[in-house]
Amino acid sequence: MSSKIIIIATVVLLIASFSVLFVVEAKNHDLDYKKAWSVVYFENPRDDSLDFAVENHEGEKYEYGYKIFVGDDKVIDEKVEIEAGAKQKISPVIPSEKLEGSKVLVDVNYKNTEYKIYKNLGK
Amino acid sequence: MYISLIKIILAIPFLLALPGFFLQLAVFGMKSGKISFFEKAVLTVPFSLIAVDLIMLLLNKLNILLNGPVIIGAVLIFCAVCFAIFQFRFGKKKNKEDDAEPEKIFDFSTWQTIFILLSIVLAIFIRTAYLSDTIVPSSTDLGHHMYWSQTIINSGHLPDYGMPDFIIGEHMIFAAVNLVSGAKLMSAMPVMLLFVFNITGIFAIAILLGRIFENKKIIAVSFFVAGSLYAINAPQGRYVSGGVIGNVIGDLLIPVALYFLYRAFTEKDQIFAGLFLFSFAGLLYTHHLSSFIFIFSVAAILVLYLILNFKNIFKIVGGWLKVFLKPFPLATLLLAIFFFLFVFTPSYFNTAAVSQATGTPTKITRVGLSLSQIEGGVGSAQLFLAGAGFLLALLAIRRKELKYSVAIGWIFVLFVMTWKPALLDVNIPSDRISNYLFLPIALLSAYGLVRYFEIFSAAASRFFSAVFLFTLLFFVITNGLSDSADAFKTRNQFQQAVETFHSAEYLASTVDTNKDIILKDHVNIYADSWYKLFFMKDYKYPLSRGILTRYVDPTKTRETCTRDMISAPESDAAKECFADTGVNYVAVNSQIEGNSFEKYPDFSKVYGSDYISIFRKN
Repeated sequence: MSSKIIIIATVVLLIASFSVLFVVEAKNHDLDYKKAWSVVYFENPRDDSLDFAVENHEGEKYEYGYKIFVGDDKVIDEKVEIEAGAKQKISPVIPSEKLEGSKVLVDVNYKNTEYKIYKNLGK
Repeated sequence: MYISLIKIILAIPFLLALPGFFLQLAVFGMKSGKISFFEKAVLTVPFSLIAVDLIMLLLNKLNILLNGPVIIGAVLIFCAVCFAIFQFRFGKKKNKEDDAEPEKIFDFSTWQTIFILLSIVLAIFIRTAYLSDTIVPSSTDLGHHMYWSQTIINSGHLPDYGMPDFIIGEHMIFAAVNLVSGAKLMSAMPVMLLFVFNITGIFAIAILLGRIFENKKIIAVSFFVAGSLYAINAPQGRYVSGGVIGNVIGDLLIPVALYFLYRAFTEKDQIFAGLFLFSFAGLLYTHHLSSFIFIFSVAAILVLYLILNFKNIFKIVGGWLKVFLKPFPLATLLLAIFFFLFVFTPSYFNTAAVSQATGTPTKITRVGLSLSQIEGGVGSAQLFLAGAGFLLALLAIRRKELKYSVAIGWIFVLFVMTWKPALLDVNIPSDRISNYLFLPIALLSAYGLVRYFEIFSAAASRFFSAVFLFTLLFFVITNGLSDSADAFKTRNQFQQAVETFHSAEYLASTVDTNKDIILKDHVNIYADSWYKLFFMKDYKYPLSRGILTRYVDPTKTRETCTRDMISAPESDAAKECFADTGVNYVAVNSQIEGNSFEKYPDFSKVYGSDYISIFRKN
């Protein structure tokens, strides 16, 4: 009888442990659960398109400012509000003649943090 | 989420209990005087694991696509065949011996049961606390292994590794659980399976000890020694979390195989001899290092026993051969040979692998560990207890009893392999060998602790014996549980892991893997080995900058491109490497190489977070 109690108790304990581990993993695998980060990236890194996206995983709604520079010239300076856990796609409109052979830099900032992504076009 | 959990909780017993249960039913019948309920319950898991492995190997050989319904059907057919054998062997005839009451070695007293339960509660609690802070997939080894399991899932066939580093038994069970339950590999599932194997390994040590020493107190103490002391140290919680699959399964199958060998020799029973071969075949299909260690361990135990009984050497060897030259072990041996030769040959089965593992140690990591390194690895209290157990076993030695050869020979050979491997012509990383010391040390510690209690409780001076005993227990408990403090101190790195996965997902969804070559940094990116699961193109895709010391190898020339392209991308060597390898995307840690990469005009930065930056070569 004692050996049956030991085996059954172990199985029950393992099931309880598995449940805890599974739930902890599933929650923490989420991009937003107990996390605070943002990311900016070009929608298509393979070509010269400038469409980019900002994802807000800060845990609350934020206003992100973004500036676009062509070479040293600032051509766009805008702001966008992004809900917690949401992604905002942005398609900047810049005349193509301005872009040729230039470095186009997207500078996204919020609070005291800034992220920069850029493409060296025509290289 | 909860439906997935229920599916896993149902799939695990289906694959890791049902086949083993029916296999034992076919071998031992419903009730057997040879084996107790406790032992059968413990052996259910390793038998199921080996059975599922063999089923998948056979299905693959028959060119049957491995998917969920096929595996479920094959397991059910296997169970039905076992049940038919059971009916044939035990259904009508009544065998008095088989219906006899099993020996009551594993019927514990109330206090022993309470002690065992407390040890198990502590063992599971400490491990759960530790694992919950590392449960999001991140460990390097597990990432590499899960690539191969995912390959099985995607292709429906077993992979051709093309390298001896991986063994099929390390990957099939994870693929099987995925195919049956749908549980993703990038979830808690792989660690949960390793957790089952680790806890079952503690039980396997207990049944081995039970048969060797036939002492319930030693069995009870073994749960505390193997389960609760140093519960986080390698090869326990840390290996479960780290996905060191071969070692974790090896630490389960080694005591199981030794258990059957011991019973085969001491009880002259062909069934146990056959099951020893079955367990050993499972070990061979799972882990080469564990098999190598096991062969050395068995050789040392048997050689010691023969030396101690030198006068009867021929009689003893003849007796052993008689046990194995009987129908059941011979049939098992032939079946194993058939599988190895015609169904699936493990990737490491070649003369080169043997010659690499033997001979004079070729690297500094293989020349042996110092005594202080060994003490640090296995734990002071455990080493002290094992030392006491070793001395007490030496004092009590009766040369005709095999159990003393097991207790002394096993630890002796593993200690020499760890400390001075050149003496045995062993050429394997010494720290890997030292992890196996855990097994004989657990055996001797439990024996030593119980014998120590017995000696001092019979001592003339009760006062001094009590003081001495409490001092020892204080030392053992404080030292042995000190590593468990790690379980509550670990700082999780879940955010880094999910940011790594996000960057991998970004690349997987935007680049063309037929044209674009990615290089990522293993040194400074957490959980990067899981990157390859997002692409499933090749084991070596994406390329990776490895640990920097690996690029310096006095024994052979190593490629350095993966290092140079991240460490000095503007150097001439790196430029040549970019041209040769075709690398055009580089993923690095934003805070470290990310800043320096921004200075290089040849790159565009296409992805940026606080942790990962991705650059495209123009």
